[in-house]
Amino acid sequence: MPLRLLLQMRDADAATDRFARQVTIVNESRRALEQQFDRILGEYGAAIARLAFSYEAVASVREELVQEMALAIWQGLAHFRGECSERTFVYRIAHNRGLSHVWKRRPPHQPLQEIEESEQPVDPRPHPEEQAARTDQRVRLMSAVQSLPVTYRQMIVLMLEGLSHAEIAEVMGITENNVAVRLNRARKTLKDALGERP
Amino acid sequence: MIEDRELDTWREQWSSVAEPPAEFQSKVQRRIKSQDRCFVLGNVLTVIAFVGILLFALYMRHQSSRMGTGWATGLCLLVFVSAAYRVWVLRRTWRPQTQSTRAFVELWHKRVAARIRLLRISIYVSLGWIIVCAALTAANWTVIGQDVRAHPKDWVEVLVACVLMQPVIWYWAAWLRRRKLAELNEVKQILDEMDGKSVLGSIDPVG
Repeated sequence: MPLRLLLQMRDADAATDRFARQVTIVNESRRALEQQFDRILGEYGAAIARLAFSYEAVASVREELVQEMALAIWQGLAHFRGECSERTFVYRIAHNRGLSHVWKRRPPHQPLQEIEESEQPVDPRPHPEEQAARTDQRVRLMSAVQSLPVTYRQMIVLMLEGLSHAEIAEVMGITENNVAVRLNRARKTLKDALGERP
Repeated sequence: MIEDRELDTWREQWSSVAEPPAEFQSKVQRRIKSQDRCFVLGNVLTVIAFVGILLFALYMRHQSSRMGTGWATGLCLLVFVSAAYRVWVLRRTWRPQTQSTRAFVELWHKRVAARIRLLRISIYVSLGWIIVCAALTAANWTVIGQDVRAHPKDWVEVLVACVLMQPVIWYWAAWLRRRKLAELNEVKQILDEMDGKSVLGSIDPVG
């Protein structure tokens, strides 16, 4: 057998090995990504659902929005290089998806009272009067948050989710000072909407 | 540490607002799988269409008339422009979901403005296309004229269809442009809100 043919066969074997190694690496990184995604959904699933609540009042559309937020996180996860915290990354994507939804959504919307009656989890507290009062407060808060302008709504939701000013600034792409000033205004607007100020 | 009771109360109320929907994770996994399949299928179909159009262009190239050469060149150009557009759309910069809200909205604004420009250019291109077709027909009239005289009914039908299609296309383009302008206004409004301008004048209730 000529030497050239032997060399070509050896090169072909080496190329096959390289390809197999690359396929293994791709499969492993995909598995790692899937595990990270599952963990993120487990950790932030409730927060994503609450965020979706601030952008959409209709239950069926909201469920779709939650899934779309999760899908956007999955698509963005491959490009996540740790430039910001995982929490900031998740909130950024979820909010950006929510903003797009605000533009795309269609009327009519279900009144909040109907949503409250149909799907809120049952409060386990023993006193019905206290329970009713708390439910009423929650409905008022939900309604007030949903009535805010988009930017204020976003800030208030991030604040309610427990993000620091620095994290809110990172999510929104504005300075911390700006966050402090606007958050103050947003809180005042929320209070107005709640009817807590004359 | 300063105690903020109001905020604590709100947070307590907010935390019970919503839970993830039932079977949320499995539904998302199903959608990811279906999205992957659609991605593969879309690319396979694109390659098939690409090869098919190239083959058709090659076939047309062998036709002796100048119209055949024109068709082949036009189709090849269309294929390469479509492929370039597809690559452009798939670029990472056009999926800005991971950036900050401000960067996302700014890019959204640029993208909508670019689409409006593209729409305007498309209208000019369609007008130019009609002129090119008319010029090509005039240049090949010795060949086409014989066919027109031989089968006048077929040519009248084609002409009527082309004339009727134009208002439909222009009406559709005008509708799309109005829609994109409305989107542009909405995005501008969000940007203004982020800059602190006229926030209270633009309340956008969800429910």
